[in-house]
Amino acid sequence: MTDRSGGGVDYLLIAAVAVLLALGLVSMYSATHGTEVFVRFQKQIVWAVLGILLFVVVLLSPARFFHYSAYIIYAVALVPLLLVLPFGKVVSGNAGWFGVAGFGIQPSEFAKVATVIALARFVSDSTTSLRSFRDLGIAFAIVFVPWLLIFIQPDFGTGLVYWAFFLVMIFWAGADLVILLAFVSPVIAAVLSIFDLWMFLAFTMVLSVVFYLLRRNIGVALLFLVLNLSVGFTVQYFYDRLPEYQKARIAVFLDPSRSPTSAGYNVMQAKVAVGSGGLTGKGYLQGTQTQLRFVPEQWTDFIFCVPAEEFGFIGAIVILCLFGFVLHRGWRIARDAPFRFSSAMAIGITTVFFVHVFVNVGMSLGLLPVIGIPLPFMSYGGSFLMTTMIAAALLVHTALYNTRGE
Amino acid sequence: MDSEHFSSSRRGIVIYGIFLAGFALLGYRLYHLQFVEYDAFREHAARNSLRRIAREPMRGLIYDREMKVVVDNNPSYTLTVTPFEFSWSSLPLLSRLFALDSNLVRYRISKSTRNAFEPVKIARDITFEQLALLEENRAALPGVSYLVESRREYKMQARMAHLIGYTKEISQKLLEKKGPYYQPGDIVGYSGLEAYYEDVLRGVKGYGYYTVDSRGKVVESFENGRSDEAATEGSDIVLSLDMKLQDYAERLLRGRRGSIVALDPSNGEILAFASSPDYDLKDLSGRISSDLWRNLNEDEGHPLYNRCSMAAYPPGSTFKMLLAVAALQEGIIDEKTTIPCPGSYTLAGVTFKCHGAHGNISVIPAIEYSCNVFFYKLIFKLGFDAWSRYGAMFHFGRKTGMDIASESPGVLPSEAYYNRRYGKRWNKGYLVSLGIGQGEVNTTPLQMAAYTATIANGGTYFRPHVVRAIIDRTAGGKKMVPVPREKLPIADHVWSTVRYGMFRAVNGNGTGYAARIGGAQAAGKTGTAQNPHGRDHAWFVGFAPYKNPKVAVAVIIENGGWGGDAAAPVAGSIMRYALFGPGAGTAGGDSLRVATPDERRPKVVPHLAD
Repeated sequence: MTDRSGGGVDYLLIAAVAVLLALGLVSMYSATHGTEVFVRFQKQIVWAVLGILLFVVVLLSPARFFHYSAYIIYAVALVPLLLVLPFGKVVSGNAGWFGVAGFGIQPSEFAKVATVIALARFVSDSTTSLRSFRDLGIAFAIVFVPWLLIFIQPDFGTGLVYWAFFLVMIFWAGADLVILLAFVSPVIAAVLSIFDLWMFLAFTMVLSVVFYLLRRNIGVALLFLVLNLSVGFTVQYFYDRLPEYQKARIAVFLDPSRSPTSAGYNVMQAKVAVGSGGLTGKGYLQGTQTQLRFVPEQWTDFIFCVPAEEFGFIGAIVILCLFGFVLHRGWRIARDAPFRFSSAMAIGITTVFFVHVFVNVGMSLGLLPVIGIPLPFMSYGGSFLMTTMIAAALLVHTALYNTRGE
Repeated sequence: MDSEHFSSSRRGIVIYGIFLAGFALLGYRLYHLQFVEYDAFREHAARNSLRRIAREPMRGLIYDREMKVVVDNNPSYTLTVTPFEFSWSSLPLLSRLFALDSNLVRYRISKSTRNAFEPVKIARDITFEQLALLEENRAALPGVSYLVESRREYKMQARMAHLIGYTKEISQKLLEKKGPYYQPGDIVGYSGLEAYYEDVLRGVKGYGYYTVDSRGKVVESFENGRSDEAATEGSDIVLSLDMKLQDYAERLLRGRRGSIVALDPSNGEILAFASSPDYDLKDLSGRISSDLWRNLNEDEGHPLYNRCSMAAYPPGSTFKMLLAVAALQEGIIDEKTTIPCPGSYTLAGVTFKCHGAHGNISVIPAIEYSCNVFFYKLIFKLGFDAWSRYGAMFHFGRKTGMDIASESPGVLPSEAYYNRRYGKRWNKGYLVSLGIGQGEVNTTPLQMAAYTATIANGGTYFRPHVVRAIIDRTAGGKKMVPVPREKLPIADHVWSTVRYGMFRAVNGNGTGYAARIGGAQAAGKTGTAQNPHGRDHAWFVGFAPYKNPKVAVAVIIENGGWGGDAAAPVAGSIMRYALFGPGAGTAGGDSLRVATPDERRPKVVPHLAD
């Protein structure tokens, strides 16, 4: 093997992050200049500077610092997550904020990286075996606790990210395929049972057959059949008894085009912004959709529409390629990490980046439901920007100690 | 390699594949939007684009129990500015014509989170003269327009300020809390029923879609209005309130601080709900002057404060019935058990006084004469835990759940409460005062009315409520509001014993004679809430008629002194008015009635067992 991420500072990765950070500020300026929300652009500059400082601090930490203090970091991150429930500030129905001197702090963002670190520590311990139900349960609990605290804020989007890196990390660490399917299949069954009874039944049948073929064990296959059927029917039972307006809310969540006013209106305006950008775009500060403020909350969830409209396909692809490069590097660092802990942490962080980019851009392109997940390095939001800067620094930090070549 | 590195190469490739597939999907979608659908979107953006204009629903009306409208809507004109069309150079003219603070206008326009084509509300409730000025100066005021909104109009004779509550333009703080449905300038219920039933009354905004050109002028209704959504009008609510009684209660309180809550004991419906001092809702409709607002907030009588459900006072002797109910039900005493009262009670060197030396006294005369020693001793026989448990049955220490936006739970002490508050540093002495409703126990007049209603009806706790029904304007149905009820696990003879004690308190030799009413027999109990800051607060709780109660009432007069003097006559007047209406009972019509010397002389009343 020749293509190895070996030793030293990964300058290319740092460069990609720096360019994305700069493009984020450029886009935010375009989305906010000349309006009251311009103050957010100014705040974002403060966050960016703080983020760069944090990046350097993480980079200068001792080699095995994060391995040793994984559980301490996790515990420290859980405290504000607990405190925010009774003492937090409510912003648009979500109680996950602390207000400090005019800046909002969202503990759920920082907890994301802390949970990745703790889970990496646990799955990489030599005493841990993901074949045992006990250890699998502990791994599950490490993610479940912060997820639950975020879920009741309520913030569903951020919570989703937790399960994505959980699945990838235990898969990476060698968990059984059957176990993974056991985690994923009831969720799919639950969603399908709301949408379409026959699709749901077909899914559970096919899944049980797959289980049988994988394991040649009729008992396991039947167990999963029963599990999925009961999950699906339970969800359906409760769904049928929900008041109409709540059903409508769930339906709009799963399919935003059903509501042309709120979520649907945003998505439509976002799509017009992207689509009308064409190959080369309308020019910086010239995008009509952006400048006339047709896309609501464009500086957070729909920031991607700004370069897509003003710099066109070329600008959008450049950004996707930069993110793709970050992911590629992250994956390679994980693959080549000499310690199990570093490897698991790196793949966890890379997954967090992937989910954020995929869901956020997918949202802006009208591909996925609007669930309020920000775009790394680019979206407005101090806690999130700092978290992503820490996460990126952790990747570079890991690469520092990777061995060179074969 | 697998031993050296954590993950197997096969699993690594699977993950890489997922990442790659995700990005490929995004890239393809991007290509599709920006190449394949480019023409359509470019045209859409150039036609630029859809303008969405909210259509305000009509806020629901409020009816009284006879289906007469008490709160209606009136059209009012609101000045708007469409930011995209507005030219900042016309700001001085705008502020001069409409007497507006130009900074406020600037703030409102820039604070709007909507797109630049949606009109921003600048000033509410402009006059016809101003409307004419706007028409004259149209050319000089690009982007300035008006829209017709509704504002509250109050048609009732009574003031009902705390019950109905006021509506006001939504504040920045509430805007953040309530989420995206509301926009700056929207009217929202801030207190009372307007706040509690906000979601019911407000309806749902509709939206009209219009195509506008690239300069922002409306070209046409989008798709001939096919995608427009009509506003859903707010639902109306029907009150259980007796409007005449409400007005009478408010007049009785005029010039005093205090409150009156009257309930129908057979179903928990609120008949009167008056708190004094109050304010005039008419002053808070439409544009509110900041002077008025400051005066209301700084008035030391706190007129905005709802004393019926937010103020909690020690219940004093009106709480003795609770202790009697608990002790009788637990079998600690029966109707005949006597406890000696030498005129005072000494515990650990501290002497607690009684109104007199009552000798060997049983529960009925103990309520009648409001004997303190009987209840000092009784709470020790009963025990703290049982006392708290029975108190909780009547919703003391928790909210009644009445349909009003602001309610205090009060305080019902328990061992756990004292341990939390004082650690180990509390002693039995704390219990003595609880026995007569003093000390840390705090109850709202609303809780006291519900408690009295439960005694009156023989043990069913109805959740107090003032809205009987909701009328859905769109679906066209009238839906009765369900009333949760709870049958307390207490025997009938307990209730009749306690009720008879209350009957004696009014009609026997007791403290409540001033609550007597002509034409019917009332029952009740006086109370005096110790007030460390001044004169004691006067309580009275009661119900009438004794045999088949139609009304239960709780009255508190702040700094009124002894309950029998200040609160009992007010309660008597309310009960009489509720039963017989204006002019009945006494010669003085509905003026405040004071017990005559003759009535003060006790008469012998036979024991009326239920």
